Amino acid sequence: MIDRGGLSQALATAVAVGGSAAALAVCRAVVSWVPMTGAAITLMSGPDGQEPVCATDAGAARIDELQFDLGDGPCVESFTTGRAVLVSDITDGADARWPVFAAAAAATGARGMFVFPLSVGAARLGVLDCYRDTPGSLDDDELAAALAAVDAAVWTLLEHGAASTLDGDRAGSDWFNGSPLARAEVHQATGMLSVQAGLRPGAALARLRAGAFATGRPIAEMAADVVSRRLRLDSDGAWHSTTAPPMTSTYDTGRPGDEEPGDEEKRS
Amino acid sequence: MSTAMSSQGREKDLVAAFVRMADTLIADFDVIELLHGLCDDCVTLLGVDAAGLLLTDQRGSLQVVSASTEAAHLVELFQLQAEQGPCLDCFATTAPVHAGDLGTESRWPLFTDRARQEGYAAVHALPMRLRGQTIGALNLFHRRPTAMQEQELRVGQALADVATIAILAERSTRERELLTEQLQGALNSRVIIEQAKGMLAERARIGMDEAFARLRRHARDTGTRLADVARGLTEATLDATPLLEPPGR
Repeated sequence: MIDRGGLSQALATAVAVGGSAAALAVCRAVVSWVPMTGAAITLMSGPDGQEPVCATDAGAARIDELQFDLGDGPCVESFTTGRAVLVSDITDGADARWPVFAAAAAATGARGMFVFPLSVGAARLGVLDCYRDTPGSLDDDELAAALAAVDAAVWTLLEHGAASTLDGDRAGSDWFNGSPLARAEVHQATGMLSVQAGLRPGAALARLRAGAFATGRPIAEMAADVVSRRLRLDSDGAWHSTTAPPMTSTYDTGRPGDEEPGDEEKRS
Repeated sequence: MSTAMSSQGREKDLVAAFVRMADTLIADFDVIELLHGLCDDCVTLLGVDAAGLLLTDQRGSLQVVSASTEAAHLVELFQLQAEQGPCLDCFATTAPVHAGDLGTESRWPLFTDRARQEGYAAVHALPMRLRGQTIGALNLFHRRPTAMQEQELRVGQALADVATIAILAERSTRERELLTEQLQGALNSRVIIEQAKGMLAERARIGMDEAFARLRRHARDTGTRLADVARGLTEATLDATPLLEPPGR
């Protein structure tokens, strides 16, 4: 049995650290608690655009590097499909999905490879790539632990899209309150903010997160204000409180002019 | 209520529902769209007032993936059961859970209060299971106290079973891995749909329900998967003009 309490504590501590040190701390938690031989996080903007963030060992770094050199492998597949890619034995010839990569990866000693997309819907940030030097599937316990690490990694990486670095204590606080990204309003608000401020979904979510910390509120509460149209984000990055405008029944497709001058409140 | 439906008409609807699902299963189908269809079928075929479907997120919690209406208060009620309620019990025990009269229910005080506030008087939950795996639960709400009949429960369970098979459709020696990939993929699709709803709600100045209805209608009109319409909107690769117009204009 995995000590889930110990893992949660390690992940919460990692998240509170903030910045790229947090990503490495998450990977180390995966290696210590799941357990894995090695783990790496890579930021990605497309099949060809990647930025290694951290790796716990040379093997994990090499496995990532190989895939991006070859433009193929479970990491690339996980990122492009937005799905986890779980390989119980990369040296098993019956699994013929990535023959070139598999041959090269076998030389690193890796057997089981478990890649998880670091995504929140359309906000695709990168991948968490874990490997083991023994073959075999993840059991339910190990899978749940790995997914907890995925959530922590996503939460951590959102900072990369935010305008400013967040204060560590605050960065961790929402994390302690359960799954901050499990609420539908957070995703709806992300969509609304991306239209309001002309941002990609990942950047919009990062702004929402940063805004919540700046005002010391839970992200779900801030999201609810956005969804109920009490709060908007301008293209210049400023938050505005508004009195909720009535929704038009005439299906006006134009931009709303619902802010009264003087009714705005700088929040960040 | 279902009793008002003639048995002949009901049988016809039932056949149509299963034929439609079978058609979906042999094509390149969209899990989320299939699950939404299932919730709609429950309302039509079982005479329930609302239906919702929750899947395990494999982190020890349940997530709403589809509902017969996307009204926020209802989705909240489904989601509340990640903490407490008939769906959670159903998922944990892999057995149907019945609460025919919430007025006398004491198992889930928080859930029961909220459900009654929203005007629901009875709730039933049916497990989604296959070969020892439980992957979620189907939740059925009635506005009046209702003990569902054996036959309705069997139809409901059959619908839930088809949905389970759909999710586990890709069968191979990699079944374990594929289950995770499918489940996580479905949950991520659901998030993309929420983001797309938000985008469309903002652009067209409409509510989330209407935004969802338009996304779904557009998917049907164009023969596109709902998840692909949502993804196209979030990635700006889809011409959103038809979605900005109110329907029928």
